[in-house]
Amino acid sequence: MAPHNHWQLIALDDFERPSAPASTMVQKTWLRLQNMLGLTRDEDATPEEQDFPHYREFDLEPGVAAVEQAWEDSDSAPSVRFVVSPPFSGSGAILRAWAKKHGYQQLDLPDKEQLQSAETQSWWKPQQCERWLLDEFSSFWLRTTSHMQFIRALLPRLLRGELGQGVVVVDSWTFAFLQRAWPLSLPHCYCFAAATPELLRQVGIEASDKVLRKLNAKARGNVAVALALWALEQESERTSPQMPSEADDGTAFILYALLLHHGLKGEHLQLVLPMLAPDQLDVQLLRLQQNGVIEFDDDNVWRVTVYAYVDVRDFLAGRGYWLDAF
Amino acid sequence: MDTEKFLSIFKDIDSAALLEIGIVIVLSWVVIWCSQKLLPMLADHFHGKQRLFVLALIPTVRVVVLIAAIVWVIPLIIEPSARNMVAIIGAAGLAIGFALKDYVSSVVAGVVAVYEVPYRPGDWICVEGTYGEVKHIGMRAVEIVTPDDTVVFIPHMKLWSALIHNANNGGPSLMCVADFYLHPEHDANQVKHLLEDVALTSPYVQLAKPIVVVSNEEPWGTHYKLKAYPIDPRQQFQFLTDLTARGKSCLRALPVSFARLSPEHAAQLNP
Repeated sequence: MAPHNHWQLIALDDFERPSAPASTMVQKTWLRLQNMLGLTRDEDATPEEQDFPHYREFDLEPGVAAVEQAWEDSDSAPSVRFVVSPPFSGSGAILRAWAKKHGYQQLDLPDKEQLQSAETQSWWKPQQCERWLLDEFSSFWLRTTSHMQFIRALLPRLLRGELGQGVVVVDSWTFAFLQRAWPLSLPHCYCFAAATPELLRQVGIEASDKVLRKLNAKARGNVAVALALWALEQESERTSPQMPSEADDGTAFILYALLLHHGLKGEHLQLVLPMLAPDQLDVQLLRLQQNGVIEFDDDNVWRVTVYAYVDVRDFLAGRGYWLDAF
Repeated sequence: MDTEKFLSIFKDIDSAALLEIGIVIVLSWVVIWCSQKLLPMLADHFHGKQRLFVLALIPTVRVVVLIAAIVWVIPLIIEPSARNMVAIIGAAGLAIGFALKDYVSSVVAGVVAVYEVPYRPGDWICVEGTYGEVKHIGMRAVEIVTPDDTVVFIPHMKLWSALIHNANNGGPSLMCVADFYLHPEHDANQVKHLLEDVALTSPYVQLAKPIVVVSNEEPWGTHYKLKAYPIDPRQQFQFLTDLTARGKSCLRALPVSFARLSPEHAAQLNP
């Protein structure tokens, strides 16, 4: 498999996003102009049409092999490594498979009391182990003053090696936020290299190089986003989800919070956005759901849909938000 | 200069010239009117720098169109020789000096404002104690809307004499300052770090800009100023409300007591 494997785990600083062809830029500008002039069709966003085609999930094994190849020299492994994961990139699932294979214990997440009291020792002690994986770093805490204290207590302990040897998977949006919230830049950061036409073929998309390059640029080098956009393109009667025309500051707050925390439950959204009244929050969430921008999963967590991710990112970029680097 | 000589400056205006002048005036008016209606509509679809750039085009378009119209029309009315220009400028100067001094001063300051840009549409300015967002820059006056939704017209000639305070100066960065007045018995560093986190965890905060807390000891207690930037200048009041509400709640939970100011101290803080 190795000679044909196009997955690559690289140092975060080496990441390069695929550049967009001129035609994609023109198309994007045209769509934006249509949105501004109100030429987009709102009737597309009917509940019946929210049943988007499911993109085929990709095989994790080549990703695991890429991690093994990058970290094969385990003797010189640092105490903790961070894997920065763009939304839907599958990095968490790949690292979980890798950890299982290599005997890394998956850590339990701290509970509410431990987070409130910034008590890292009581969280760590019962599950103390030599090698561990913390795969949900983005979702266990909330953007509140008390939880920030926990994060600030945990990060120095991780970097000092007090918790042994481990791997932390952190969402790219959380990572960007942490860079602002914690002045020390994190060492030993990795990520999967941006997708290439060859990698897209490896995960099952059959098309010409030109089409794949265009798709890859639109998906910002994110394999899962490319698979989702490709699935949409294959069904001509479907249209991609669109940001509601009523989208406002509240919409932006919700979408940013969902990306920052890898999805949130309704009550947790209310905690991080206390200035939105519960009924306002419900209206916003339902409107976004009707437009296919977010979904409510089986764990009662609201998440941005993979089909809408690119538009959501553009929406936040247009409003001057602090974005991830992917 | 006798009347006959003065009138000889002007050309004989025939109906074709009159029609041309009329068309130029109407066209100029249409272009200016359209720019004043369409550009703000376009700007509403943008945020941050892009919005401010589009809004700043409005006065520029007006000045360009007016200059073009004047350059077009003058040769149709007078013979543009040096002698004629001196005569016209002399007569105009006399009229302005006596009757239209303030009006012309405002108009000239309006032209200067387009190039010096002490304010642009979208800026938040304070002139002689009146604070608001610049909505429109006219020929004679700038129109601002205060936080209480009152429209205030400020003549451009204030440029010559008054201090113009511009909070965001054409950019999307506008610093907000939330005040906290605390009882002196507390750990100042703990409060400082807490207030920084209050700003950091606000959904309104612009993470690309710094967050600063400064404190000042007063006879009645400690005055903290939490300084941070909202993502959009238009969110400044909601941002301040959010900082104040969550800041108070976090300080109470610490716990820290709030200062009880005597009426004279309160008057000093809010003169």
